[in-house]
Amino acid sequence: MIVILALAGLFDGLAGNPVHAVLLVGVALLLWSGVDLPVQVEERSEAAVVPDDGHPLVVLVIAVVYAVAVGGFDRYSWPATLAVIVLGVVGLMMAFRTSRTIGPDPGPIGRRGAVAWASVFVALGLWELTNLLLQPDLVTGSYAHPTLSTLLDPILALHTGRSALLFVWLVLGWYLVKR
Amino acid sequence: MSSHDATVAIYGLIALVGLVLEVMSRTGRTEVPPLGTVLTRIMHTRSGRIGVMAGWMWLGMHYFAK
Repeated sequence: MIVILALAGLFDGLAGNPVHAVLLVGVALLLWSGVDLPVQVEERSEAAVVPDDGHPLVVLVIAVVYAVAVGGFDRYSWPATLAVIVLGVVGLMMAFRTSRTIGPDPGPIGRRGAVAWASVFVALGLWELTNLLLQPDLVTGSYAHPTLSTLLDPILALHTGRSALLFVWLVLGWYLVKR
Repeated sequence: MSSHDATVAIYGLIALVGLVLEVMSRTGRTEVPPLGTVLTRIMHTRSGRIGVMAGWMWLGMHYFAK
């Protein structure tokens, strides 16, 4: 994982995205520094689960407000950049600290399961890379060979589209920190 | 079928395979676990949690930030 993050950071930096590169290399260095410890698990009891039931509605309202507000900023503007970075750092910090809500370890994933899911994501990554390399250059989208970013450009050009995808991104982040 | 259509169709096919895997995993008749279980397993170590959350943060930055 450290190598993947470092390489991704290196190529993101070479592609002219210094902020992304700093993030990816920074996380790689953080992991390299030796934080690969199992998180301390406090298994959920029924009593512990109940108080969490009130949180989703609050999270939902905050996510909607954030998505509508930040979606109003232009893509790649500094206000949008700051809003995403601040929230991303909060997510990373929540991942770094020992979570009190983490569930029990589901146990090892079987070989078939690991291969099946890895195949889906590797196929997606390779197809994305293929289309990226078929573009006129790395920063110019192609209609004939669109990457996911190119396909999403028309949606992200609209305030409603940006807000909708920001909301999905937030919900995904919340889902992940609750793992 | 144009190159554009073929490209989009393959993205759709990959998404469909993922959806089928998820549905199959929930029937309990296969060794393939739901994606949520895989994520939980990956995120059971601190490096896994940080790595996955870094990927999530990068996704947001890629689409919205400088």
